[in-house]
Order: sequence, then structure tokens, then C-alpha cells
Amino acid sequence: MTKPTRHRAAWLIPCTLIGALLATASKPGRAADDPQAWLQKMNRALATRNYDGTFFHLSEGRVETMRVVHRVRAGRVTERLLSLDGSGREFVSNDGELTCYLPDKRTIFVEPRRDGGPFLGSLPQFGAGVNEYYRIEALPEARVLGRAVHVIAVNPLDQFRFGYRLWLDRETAMPLKTQLCDSHGQVIEQILFAKLAMPETIPDSDLTPAVRTAGMRWVRQGASPASAPAGLAVFRAIELPPGFRLTVAGAQTLGGASVPATHLVYSDGLATVSVFVEAEHESPPGGDANAGVGAEAPMQGLGRVGSGFAFSTVVQGHQVTAVGEVPAQTVEFIAHSVRSYGGGDLSRH
Amino acid sequence: MSEQIREQVSAFLDGELPASETELLLKRLTRDMELRERFGRYALIGEAMRGATHAHLTRGFTVRVNAAIDGEPGIAAPAAGQAQRAPRWWRPLAGAAVAASVAVVAVVGLQRHASLPVTAAVTSTINRPPAPPAAAAPARTREAISYTVPAALADVPAALPAARLTSYVFAHSKYSSLLEQRDVLSGLIGGGDDSPPPAMTVPVLQQAPAADSRIAP
Repeated sequence: MTKPTRHRAAWLIPCTLIGALLATASKPGRAADDPQAWLQKMNRALATRNYDGTFFHLSEGRVETMRVVHRVRAGRVTERLLSLDGSGREFVSNDGELTCYLPDKRTIFVEPRRDGGPFLGSLPQFGAGVNEYYRIEALPEARVLGRAVHVIAVNPLDQFRFGYRLWLDRETAMPLKTQLCDSHGQVIEQILFAKLAMPETIPDSDLTPAVRTAGMRWVRQGASPASAPAGLAVFRAIELPPGFRLTVAGAQTLGGASVPATHLVYSDGLATVSVFVEAEHESPPGGDANAGVGAEAPMQGLGRVGSGFAFSTVVQGHQVTAVGEVPAQTVEFIAHSVRSYGGGDLSRH
Repeated sequence: MSEQIREQVSAFLDGELPASETELLLKRLTRDMELRERFGRYALIGEAMRGATHAHLTRGFTVRVNAAIDGEPGIAAPAAGQAQRAPRWWRPLAGAAVAASVAVVAVVGLQRHASLPVTAAVTSTINRPPAPPAAAAPARTREAISYTVPAALADVPAALPAARLTSYVFAHSKYSSLLEQRDVLSGLIGGGDDSPPPAMTVPVLQQAPAADSRIAP
């Protein structure tokens, strides 16, 4: 852990791989303080422990107060995330479904989850691959909520991904404070717990949404099969930012759509970007990015999504949108590089 | 605002507020949006001032502040004005009123940086209706640091429709990492009665760029 300056230099020249190898080599023998081991502990705690906490979510100059309740019982995970600031918005995940209650919008979204797995999704693998694109280091210990915490920085080595700083409780490895940062270390978003209990049991009532659903509009997204159905055009990003690779390729009916959208997931081992490809019905097939301004005009451009970005464009007559907790240039890069597989137009089957 | 709350906030952000008092503070913050916004700003300033562990963070702040002051009077001016209007209790919290404006400008810088590919972006404080006088200070800060949109938003042919994007975000969230997912969902769930969740109000920042603006791999 005495090599930060050397790593900084490695970051400046195209030798990140060598830097990462040095970092990996320097770690064995320090297991007790190994930041990577602490990240694994954190993941285990988040996925397997019962907890009930209230936290502040600071983003874009706003502060929201939220509560998260997470229960693991007989291998089944139920989680509830709710706003305490009056909007009444809630997420509840159980039985393989994520339900989002937006009472102020009079809308409820339901999204199927894979095999009822953990609400918080697949665990990030802080494995060897991650070391090529992030520098993981321990910072001086500190205190949060009156408790001693390990402070760990996950620094991105280029501008295609965000990093994290994590304050992990020494006793439980729970993140009491987390920051999402850009590649300059600038804080984009912060989660700060005000209280956190880890009870042995959590009653059902703490996991039941408080929303009255009468008269609300339900939007149910289709299931996501493991692979794209036959007949759907095959799309892939032909070029990717360093370190990203395809991890999932499937299709899913989204929102009120009648035709499934191709859903591709690209990951660098920590950050993930989803790409959705939908046929543009109103546009003539084969049009380029500037064609097809019909009754249903294609989406174009960049938008903010939480602390990440979405970028939408039209490729070969299809609407292509990349979404992720990554910098704008990453979603833009990936969306622009999507092509129908093999270069031919396979969309008119 | 009482000295007591100020000290509570300070102690909480230092990780040293007793649990019973944290509970009280939490109740106040949940009830009081204005106090929450001040708390949020102070939390940011705290990060900037806890420089020891975040040397690179502090440098980032400085660079952006300088850039904002040198090149963007339209951004720096409201932030400075905001600092002068900050309530008395706020100033000792920040150490100096200047620090408050530094944090605000830094966030503006971040937003501009975050949308690097945007051409001719300006911060959209100009065409917004004036906030009610009573809530002027926090409201303006919030607006000023929230969005970066192109000058000619009206000319953009099609926005990213909120409902569609929300569908995408939900479908995406199940593949995100633990850390990302909490961010994504918290971002979606956030927003008070007055504002839809961020993913539903996504401003279109630009049109699709020309092919030659692609980022080299």
C-alpha cells in the first residue's frame, strides 16, 4: 500500500495493465487490511444480512431521506426502499418481482427479477479484471455514526467509468457511507446512513408498502428470457470502451411495447451499461441516424438518469439506447457502436 | 436555526453524534426541506474541507472553481450571491461564506464536466421563473446546480421520453452491481411532491453528435 504515486504515474502512461499487476502483486500477505477483501465482505453483508436503515441520498444538490429494509429468510430476499420525504415513493422486491410505487405519478411499475435473486442484483466482482481499470486502495480509517470504519477508494483509471469511496463498518462491513466519484475524484453522489440496525428478525409489516394502490396505473414489463427469441435481429456493439465486455444478451418486452426489445449488458466487472434496441416502426428501415422523423420521432441525444446517463440514437432503422451509471461519453460511445450482427440488415425477417 | 442544530449537523458529519441526537436530527431533516438542502450543502463543503484523505478531491474543486470564475461569470455570479444571502448560522458551519460559494460553483463545474460531449451547453438559470422570495436562496441554488441543458432546448426535435427511459432504467437495474443499483433506485425514488423522479424528467442535453465527434477508443 505504499505505491500510490507509482500508480498515478502508471495512470498517465498507457501501462495500466502493468500498474494493475503491481497492485495485485503487492496485496497478498496483508489479508486483514486488504481493501479488496473488505469489498467482498461488504457485498456479502449487503446480500445476506438483515438490516433496517435510514440514509441520506445526496445528489445534484438535493438531499432525500430514505429507508431501506432488507430481510433474508430461508434463502429468500425481500427488500423495501422508500422515500421518507413525503412523495410516498417505494420499491419493494420479493418473489422475483421488483415493484415501484409512484403514488405522486399514480403509476406502479413491475419488473420481473431473475429467479427471485437478491434485489440488489448480481454482486460486483472485485476480481483481477477490475484491477486493470480501477485502483483499489485503503484510505486512513475514520468514524461514521460513532463507529470505526475502514475507508476504501475504488478509483477509475480512465474517464469511461465512475469510482467509489466506501466507509465500511469494521464490525459488520456494512457501508455506512458511500460516494460515487468521477475519474477526478469529484463526488457525484453520496449515501450517508443516519441509523442502521441489523435485527435478527424483521416483521412482514416492515416490508409491506404503505401505498394505496386503488386507481393507480400498472405498467408491467415482460419477462426477460435468457436469450433473444428467434427472428429478432441480432445487435451488438462492434467497439467498446476499454475493459467492457458483453455479459448478457436477451430480449424483453418493456413498458407498454408490443414487440420485445433486445437487451444487451456490457460490464467492466464493476460498472454496467445496458443497451436496448427497438425497431422504429414509423421509420423506413435502413435509415441512418438522421432519418425517420415521423409521427413517432426517434429519440436522440443524451439524458441524465439518476447519477448516470442515457444516450439514444438511431442505427440501421432501430432505436438504440445505452443506459448506465457511467460517464456520458461511455453510453455515447457504446450506443454509437451498435450494429446489426454481421453488418447486414437482419431486421426484416 | 439554532446553534444546537448547527452543532448536531457538524457532529453528525464527523461521525460523532450520539444515536439519540442523530434520531432527533433525522426527524428535523425529514420534516424540513430547507434544512435538508442546507445540510446537503454543508455535507459537500465538509468533503471539500476534509482535505487530508481527499487531496485529489480538493484539487478537483480548485480547478473547477477557477475555471468557473474565469470563464463563466453567469455561473459564478449567482453562486456568490447565494453565499452572501446564506443565513448567519450557516457561515460558521462553512468556516467562511466563501467556502459555501466554492462548493456551489464546484457542483456546477461537475455538471458541466459530466456532460463534456455537450456542445455549447449553458447552465439553465436564465429562463427559469423567479423563486418565491421566502425560499429564494435554497431554490436558486438547487436550480443552478441541477441541470445543464443546451441553450436552444426548443430546437431539439425529440426528447428522451420519460416513460420509456424509466422502463429502460428498471430493466437495467437488475444487472447493475450492488453499489450501482442502490444509486440507480435511490435516484429514481428521489424527488419530492413537486418534482418527478430524475429519470422521468431527463432533459435532453444535446442532439446526437456528428459522427466525427466520436470518442477515440
